[in-house]
Amino acid sequence: MMSKILKYSFVLAVVFPLVFLLGLSLAQQWQFPEVLPQQWTLQHWGNSLFQQGDILKSLFLSLGLSLSLAGTVSVFAFFMSKHIAYSKHRQLYMRFTLVPYILSPVVLAVIFQYYFTVANLSGNFIGVLIAQLFFALPFGIVIFNNFWNEHLKSIEQLSFTLGASSRQSLLKVILPLSKPAIVLCFFQSFLVSWFEYGLTQFIGLGKVKTLTVMVFSFINEANVFYAALACILLILPPIVLLYMNKKILILAR
Amino acid sequence: MSEAFLRIKQLHKWFGQNQILKNINLDLSDGQTLSLIGASGSGKTTLLKIIAGLENANQGQIYLRENRIDALSPQQRKIIYLYQDALLFPHLSAFENIAFGLRLQKAKHIPAQVNAMLDKLGMQDQGHKMPNQLSGGQKQRIAFGRALVIQPQLLLLDEPFGALDPEIRSHMQKLFKTLVSSQNLSAIFVTHDLKEAIIIGDNIAKIEQGSLIQYDSKKAFYQDDKSGVNDEILFWKHLKNETNED
Repeated sequence: MMSKILKYSFVLAVVFPLVFLLGLSLAQQWQFPEVLPQQWTLQHWGNSLFQQGDILKSLFLSLGLSLSLAGTVSVFAFFMSKHIAYSKHRQLYMRFTLVPYILSPVVLAVIFQYYFTVANLSGNFIGVLIAQLFFALPFGIVIFNNFWNEHLKSIEQLSFTLGASSRQSLLKVILPLSKPAIVLCFFQSFLVSWFEYGLTQFIGLGKVKTLTVMVFSFINEANVFYAALACILLILPPIVLLYMNKKILILAR
Repeated sequence: MSEAFLRIKQLHKWFGQNQILKNINLDLSDGQTLSLIGASGSGKTTLLKIIAGLENANQGQIYLRENRIDALSPQQRKIIYLYQDALLFPHLSAFENIAFGLRLQKAKHIPAQVNAMLDKLGMQDQGHKMPNQLSGGQKQRIAFGRALVIQPQLLLLDEPFGALDPEIRSHMQKLFKTLVSSQNLSAIFVTHDLKEAIIIGDNIAKIEQGSLIQYDSKKAFYQDDKSGVNDEILFWKHLKNETNED
């Protein structure tokens, strides 16, 4: 009984909005109180993906930005968190990682905007990437924080006494053991970047048009058909990543 | 200076203001096992980690076969430190755990060497199992095999049987003695257990609040009033008398 309730709740919460958005993106005309669109068309998809290609460009820009951020955060957070975890000042460092959460990303952007303008980082891809790193990197460090513990330290030390160099120990012992944590960090950082709006808009000066920025822009223009189309594209990569994440974690076990 | 396989001279270690090890001097002969006893926090683990190169001493020298090793990295020392927890690599099978050191050395005939070791450990048919499929005693045997197969210069064991139940513990003590003598290995064996120290060790040393006393022989250890052996004997005599009275 409970599983049935959960299944229907899932359909209502996830599948129904997706079907609704897909219908909206394929509608030429859909007026209240009609249950289904009066006219269907592939024109919005054709325009967005092939003729004007704005949404497609935004999709690739977003993918580039989020994948770059997720990759950078996973690598840096992995090594920085190790340093922090085995440091005498672990507690202090971990408090520092919480600072970006006290301020919202937009407030952070306002604080740092001057420096971004001086460094010629406003309104471009690199600038937005660096700005997102300000809060995504501490987030990654928090994810890895519990991974580094005395048990893992002992395993690493044991590999040294068995003759492994630091590099061999990293590749043959630590990385295989940290796979679930790395996947989690990559996935979470990707999502943080993927759905980020305020800071991207502020530092990007409206020139870095990620898919999330495009969705807001279509909604502001009351262009519901294109907004629905962009929303579907916005949801797809996280679903793919969620599926991959699950597969990798199951394999790791 | 007479020849010693392992020689530690005037070793000191501080953690901040606390002096953990005070003027440690220790000699270990080739092919001998030294049992090291002492209370928790007395500095036993720190001493083993310093010998293995996992911690640095503040002062003192360590010689192995008359070569000074305290500036060498753990990889260069060929000294294996075994923890109370077997610490098998959880992503590798029992076979691959044993093969780990051999693969790093790019040794020849790895499958044959690993199978021979599994045979010695009495685990011929367990090589394919993952660590989470092994019992505590089996894990500890694989950990032994992983250490012994690379033929280390010295074995350091930090209460390796502490977490095992009495029956398996006794079996592991016998297996340890057999394997160590068959490879003529030198070892330092840390334990809380007086009986275990006497069974395992060719010689005994005691560490108390960072200071080490090394006995010339086991007999000298038994004769020392502070060794705890007399208390143990009195306890068993008392128990026997009580049982007879009943």
